[in-house]
Amino acid sequence: MDGIIEILRNASSTEQAIGVSVGGLIGVFATLAFFFVLIVAADRFSKH
Amino acid sequence: MQDVFIGFTSITWKMLIMYGIGGILIWLAIKKQYEPMLLLPIGFGAILVNLPLAIAWEHEGVPGFLRVLYDAGIANELFPLLIFIAVGAMIDFGPLFRNPLMIFFGAAAQFGIFATMIIATLLGFDLKTAASIGIIGAADGPTAIYVATKFAKDYLAPISVAAYSYMSLVPLIQPPVIRLLTTKEERRIHMPLHEKQSPQWLRVLFPILVTMTAGIIAPISVPLVGSLMFGNLIRESGVLERLSQTAQNELAYLVTLLLGITIGGSMSAEKFLNKDTILILVMGLVAFIFDTAGGVLFAKLFNLFLPRERKINPMIGACGISAFPMSARVIQKMANEEERGNIILMQAIGANVSGQLGSIIAGGLVLALVPLLVK
Repeated sequence: MDGIIEILRNASSTEQAIGVSVGGLIGVFATLAFFFVLIVAADRFSKH
Repeated sequence: MQDVFIGFTSITWKMLIMYGIGGILIWLAIKKQYEPMLLLPIGFGAILVNLPLAIAWEHEGVPGFLRVLYDAGIANELFPLLIFIAVGAMIDFGPLFRNPLMIFFGAAAQFGIFATMIIATLLGFDLKTAASIGIIGAADGPTAIYVATKFAKDYLAPISVAAYSYMSLVPLIQPPVIRLLTTKEERRIHMPLHEKQSPQWLRVLFPILVTMTAGIIAPISVPLVGSLMFGNLIRESGVLERLSQTAQNELAYLVTLLLGITIGGSMSAEKFLNKDTILILVMGLVAFIFDTAGGVLFAKLFNLFLPRERKINPMIGACGISAFPMSARVIQKMANEEERGNIILMQAIGANVSGQLGSIIAGGLVLALVPLLVK
């Protein structure tokens, strides 16, 4: 991870923006996916 | 004698343009009722700050009332966070709990933020400014202001104006994009309504867990997420009804009033009238279009893997933006126009509240990631 950040630090603004976009989109999906699991698990739990 | 007429002699053509812009914003607020609570104060603030000598901002080294408000509420991000408490108290996550799958549209519709950020760098903006411009696509005024305050203070005024203007224009921006990307048959898809009620313990636990998760993933997002979820916890606790009502009404109205006039107060002609402002306004529109497209296309992708009877109306994807509840209402209206009696409002609201979550998490991630690459 540190290697990727180091490469991006020396990259152009557009390349940095692409890096932030990829990281950002993965982060948003992963975080909301975690909330999805929480909600589904809570739903299952409340049925028992 | 010159001092007597200093008001007349200080007027420049740029000031006159700003009076025009302030007038247009006030006209949009009153005549078209586009976000009147914000556009009217912003428009008036823009006129105030561009009057000769800008006394409302600063005079002979002494801060005027607009400057005092700016320092007290914008420069330190207080106003956007107070607005978030109010917004949190207004959000009902119930429709999302009944249709948890909708949460993914809150992620997909953040695509516009990132696409616009890339385009902004291609147009010559540095990464921090580009990120602030992209956040207009969060369709979330307080997040846009919060990020701009951190990364691009000089562009706060055009970014705020773009964010709030386009939020009010959702009914005009989204339908053509949706029609372009979907077939009539897709827009007529019915979705089953889930009637089940979510348990209260989930409603109480959810804002706490969301805050903790966001705080661990992107600690810098805690003020944003924490204030939104604090407002929601007040609402869902069931024991703070008066506080919840106060947050939803008095707090929301008061801070919106101060926020609006203060943003207007930051629209001095020198800062506002330049090529960058026009670019920012155009890119704000691009961000909203990409958001809508991202959500709709993601729903179509989702449908490839779903059985026929469980297909999602792809218009729901467009509700993944944070403009709540306007986007959900627009989509329900479109569904009804396509086929009378097609009710998808609950699913649309589920996606719409997910957009609220998605936008602050996207904002938090941008705040966390960008400083890793540029100082």
